[in-house]
Amino acid sequence: MTTKDGKARRLWVRIMTMVCLWLAGAMPWQWPELRADPLEGTLEVQSAFVNVVGGVYQLHVRTRYPSSDETASALRDGVSLSYDVDVEVARERRFWANENIVTLQLKRELSYHSVSERYVVRDPLLDDEQKSYATLDEALAALGSIESWPILVVLQVAEPGAYLVSVRARVRRGRLTDALRALMFWSDDWQRESEWYSWSLPR
Amino acid sequence: MVAAALSNRRNRILIAIWIAVVVGALFALFLSAQNSEQFGRLQPWILLASAAAVLVIIGLLARKIYQLVSAYRSGVPGSRLTSRTVLVFSALVALPLLTVYVFSLEFLNRGIDSWFRVEIKQGLNDAVVLSRSALDLRMREYGGRTERFAVSLSNQSAGGALFALDEELRSSGASEIVLYGEYERIVGAASQEVADALPDRPPADLVRTVSSGSTYLSLEPVGDSRYLIRTAAPIPGTPFSRGDARFIVVVYELPRQFAELTDTVQRSYSQYGDLAALREPLKYSFRLTLTMVLLVTLLGAIYGAIYSAEILFKPVQDLVAGTRAVAKGDFGMRVPLTSHDEMGFLVQSFNDMTKRLRRAREETESSRAAVEREREWLAIILARLSAGVITVDRDLLVQRVNESAGSILGVDLSSTVGRVLGLGSDAETGLLPAFVAELRSKFATGRDEWREQIELQPAASKTSSRVLVCACVPLPKEESGVEQFVIVFDDVTHLLQAQRDAAWGEVARRLAHEIKNPLTPIQLSAERLRRKLLPALSGSDADMVERSTHTIVQQVESMKQMVNDFSEYARAPAMQVATFDLNRLVTEVTDLYRSQDASIEMVTYLGETLLEIAADRSRVRQVLNNLLANAFEALEGVRPAVIEIRTSAITLEGHTFIELDVADNGPGFQSDMIGRVFNPYVTSKPRGTGLGLAIVKKIVEDHRGRIELGNRPSGGAMVRVMFPVSEQERAIAPGAEQGERRRERA
Repeated sequence: MTTKDGKARRLWVRIMTMVCLWLAGAMPWQWPELRADPLEGTLEVQSAFVNVVGGVYQLHVRTRYPSSDETASALRDGVSLSYDVDVEVARERRFWANENIVTLQLKRELSYHSVSERYVVRDPLLDDEQKSYATLDEALAALGSIESWPILVVLQVAEPGAYLVSVRARVRRGRLTDALRALMFWSDDWQRESEWYSWSLPR
Repeated sequence: MVAAALSNRRNRILIAIWIAVVVGALFALFLSAQNSEQFGRLQPWILLASAAAVLVIIGLLARKIYQLVSAYRSGVPGSRLTSRTVLVFSALVALPLLTVYVFSLEFLNRGIDSWFRVEIKQGLNDAVVLSRSALDLRMREYGGRTERFAVSLSNQSAGGALFALDEELRSSGASEIVLYGEYERIVGAASQEVADALPDRPPADLVRTVSSGSTYLSLEPVGDSRYLIRTAAPIPGTPFSRGDARFIVVVYELPRQFAELTDTVQRSYSQYGDLAALREPLKYSFRLTLTMVLLVTLLGAIYGAIYSAEILFKPVQDLVAGTRAVAKGDFGMRVPLTSHDEMGFLVQSFNDMTKRLRRAREETESSRAAVEREREWLAIILARLSAGVITVDRDLLVQRVNESAGSILGVDLSSTVGRVLGLGSDAETGLLPAFVAELRSKFATGRDEWREQIELQPAASKTSSRVLVCACVPLPKEESGVEQFVIVFDDVTHLLQAQRDAAWGEVARRLAHEIKNPLTPIQLSAERLRRKLLPALSGSDADMVERSTHTIVQQVESMKQMVNDFSEYARAPAMQVATFDLNRLVTEVTDLYRSQDASIEMVTYLGETLLEIAADRSRVRQVLNNLLANAFEALEGVRPAVIEIRTSAITLEGHTFIELDVADNGPGFQSDMIGRVFNPYVTSKPRGTGLGLAIVKKIVEDHRGRIELGNRPSGGAMVRVMFPVSEQERAIAPGAEQGERRRERA
């Protein structure tokens, strides 16, 4: 009886050892390493300011987006990238969280048109609004320059107090469905965002 | 019970929290999948919730496993069964899960790889190249036309050029023709669009190209499936440093059919590129998600297995604990009834069984107590019984013995229970050897039931033989088939002695009455014969008469003395008890005897703190007289002759006695007579009546005293008499009969 038990126990231990070894081999840390960060480089809001034209605050932003061979290669392979600019205007409160007045997002998409061999910048919401550039740098320069973007009217900041304008630029892989983006939650390294660039709204 | 209930409640709360976290995480994932912005906001919380869920389940599982291992090591009832079940369940869950996991991983890898096959990529590239070639032909055609138009403009004046632009627009089908001058200033333009549409500034690369004297060609996607072919050519002969017109830009719109085809190819290429870039991240995400699901499922299943096994085997654990309690004799334990299924039925049956066992044990205890009570009663009765009772089997293995048996046989039999009678260290003590021999001879005859009077000679010959009335009755056979016998016996020696004493008293009384009466006439007649005849006779006749009458008178005197002794022995007058000093009495009597024979030294050792004794003084004096007379007679011819008399007070068994020892250095008692010297008419002296010691013993017994005699180790006889010191002591003192038994046993 004891011998039988001993044999069964040894067999069980062997099976479990094999399963554990196999599991260790299948674990994520054994998977191939992902490629390096494709959006490496400087991503920052270099300057930004607003002016009032006809009672409307217009935003001007100069952004530097990262450019690399990796990015160019990915674009040439058909990948499209989204270049978003987030703007928030909030009224500062001393003993409470700031009151959010405006939150806007400007969406642009950069892709490479392989047939015409040009870089195309377009507004994903407006399909007929697009421009093409012969080089990536020209396209990025065009993307990095935002001029006269109306963000709020004067009446929205009529209450006394200080108002804070914050701008942030983001780059991420474009043309992904939301479901696919959720699925890529763990592994998508095609996402970067700049620090917030903030200043007080002049009044 | 309360602790277990709290623990269960805590476990349920933890499980509910865990389930809520997992469900919340799944719901958040579902919500975020609908909206990527929301997903971005929820991302940290989803991470936190997922990590918390995994941590919680790992913590719960670790705790459960630790508890299980601890219980297994300490041998808690049911832990081995639980462990085995958990292992089996875990294996049953793990194997299919792992199999599915392996195949899913393989399927994912192969499936995702199949989306991005090389053939598709190559096909798309070829389509792009083909499209580009086709468009290139058209663009070159448009470019050639633009070059020719530029050449034609070189000889035109400014006004003519404007008309030429319009003419060319109509003839070429271009959508826009712009003539640029110095500093990219628009010199003239013709367009198919509304006239107010101002042409854009020429692209920088265009300016660079035409500045170098080359023709510029580009295909520009403008959205909505529209493409523009932009051509530009420098106007030959026009130095760029001078003149107005510098280069011409002609924009054509790609025909709709071409444009749509190009758009399709481009869209396919882009979509494929997007997807191809997702290949590795997708695989990674699927693997990670699958692994997390596997881990959560596996850990959850193991935890569930442990939890279920604990719930399932809780009644079993209770039953094992109950069984152990029952094995230890605790029939009061009840296993809690937690369900009404088969296990509940088993628990109910166990509780019924313990209840019945408890009732049976109580009945057994009651019966045992009753038997024990009866046994105690029997022991008390046997202890109080003056007769000896021994229960033995045929081999004389003692089962039960009472105290009186030992007293009668002169042996301590309390340690002989369970041993064969007569085989112990005291086998040669008292009456035991003779008694054992008698029993063996009786059993040897095959008679199981008998009643006889037997005379036993003690092992020590200095004491007299004892007569026992002995009866043997067989007991009902036991289940083991061993025969047992109850032997009841009693010492009737003193009873017989008393009967003999009574008979001797009667004989003495009759002798005194029948013999004493004729003695006086005989003596008187003999004296008258001598008085009458002696003067009348002479010589030898007178001498003969003298001697004869003297002999008659002397013998009559002796007979009178003998008759008086008998009379004294038979007489039993009422005792005249008075308190007196024994030492003084001893002194008086010894002084009297010293005066009779100075050759015998009499030494007295009188107790200094002796109490006065309450007794019949004259009869105590007679005791002393008889003992000293015996000593004097024994010392005849012995020189030096010494008689030692000693008095002392002793406490024996809680009673105070006055002890009187009389010892001499004579020849002592003959060994064959020691047991019989108290019998009347037993004497070793030629002139003794044999009544002296009998009378002494009678007087001592009348005083409820004790008497012992024997030979001293240094030679000579010694008689020890003990009297109770007071009337009260005499009333409660143990009788001479018991005293003698104890003496013999000692």
